[in-house]
Amino acid sequence: MTDSRATTQHESNTDCHSFQASLPELFETDAGLHEQPHLATCAACTALVRDLEYIAAQAKLLLPMHDPSPAVWENIQSALVKPGSRSKRSL
Amino acid sequence: MPVGDKKPEPRMKSRLHTEEAPRSRVVVQPLSTEARPHKPQQRRNAPIDGELEAIALAQQGDAQAFETLYNLHKRRVYSLCLRMLSNVSEAEDLTQVAFMQLHRKIETFRGDSAFSTWLHRMTVNVVLMHLRKNGLQLVSLEEVMEPAQDDGPRKDFGARDRVLAGAVDRVTLERAVEDLPPGYRMVFVLHDIEGYEHNEIATMLRCSVGNCKSQLHKARMRLREQLRNVVLTEARP
Repeated sequence: MTDSRATTQHESNTDCHSFQASLPELFETDAGLHEQPHLATCAACTALVRDLEYIAAQAKLLLPMHDPSPAVWENIQSALVKPGSRSKRSL
Repeated sequence: MPVGDKKPEPRMKSRLHTEEAPRSRVVVQPLSTEARPHKPQQRRNAPIDGELEAIALAQQGDAQAFETLYNLHKRRVYSLCLRMLSNVSEAEDLTQVAFMQLHRKIETFRGDSAFSTWLHRMTVNVVLMHLRKNGLQLVSLEEVMEPAQDDGPRKDFGARDRVLAGAVDRVTLERAVEDLPPGYRMVFVLHDIEGYEHNEIATMLRCSVGNCKSQLHKARMRLREQLRNVVLTEARP
């Protein structure tokens, strides 16, 4: 009984390892990630896929939200008014 | 002081050349600024009022028009630099460099792609050239490619853990991205946030597409662990 349980656990770990090793490719192709047979029997890998998809989805929603300090423009201005600047009108 | 006011000093700073010497290096290659359109353009190239006129005038050397372009695009350029570098000082320096380069090259913009896309690529190039010169700090691309023990299959997560979906806000994710090792962060920012394809990133970083995919996966795995820790911490009474 114990041996049987250990064997099952080992097979499950092997399946998880194999499945997770293929995830980088599975995520980049639309080749039925959610139809992978392993997901039907493994809650851990299902949770993993769910979380990774969530992270990727949230990343796409991140918008530029930081403004540079005013010193950045001041430095640009200063550099552009140097002799040799191509600006035709003074800054 | 308002953004447009004159100020004789300070001149262009030279912090870029005073950074601590990098411990490791990653070879990077800039993209062509006239390369084919990609996902960022599809996602974030909405026309901006007054942009076309400002571009035309700036190409003729109109300083006010250039300032208009700066104000229209400074947030996106700076945010990109900041996300790629996770360093405010460096990000500001490279924002400055990017706009100086824009000033020099704006005459060459022909409208083959959206201006924002063109400027975005130019900014990525500036950052990558900076990294090429100074190297990624802390960890190299090769080092982060090495399989780590925590990258193996995990059986200790699942129903007993809090789910991430709905539990992570934008600020938390931004912070977690900031905390990624540079090699992971670079690929994650370029792919998942900025929308570049793996083949484009692989070209930029001079690594294989497979390595790029692997890095992205490891970055997401690392983020997952970081975010799960945050969620679990917040869930404690």
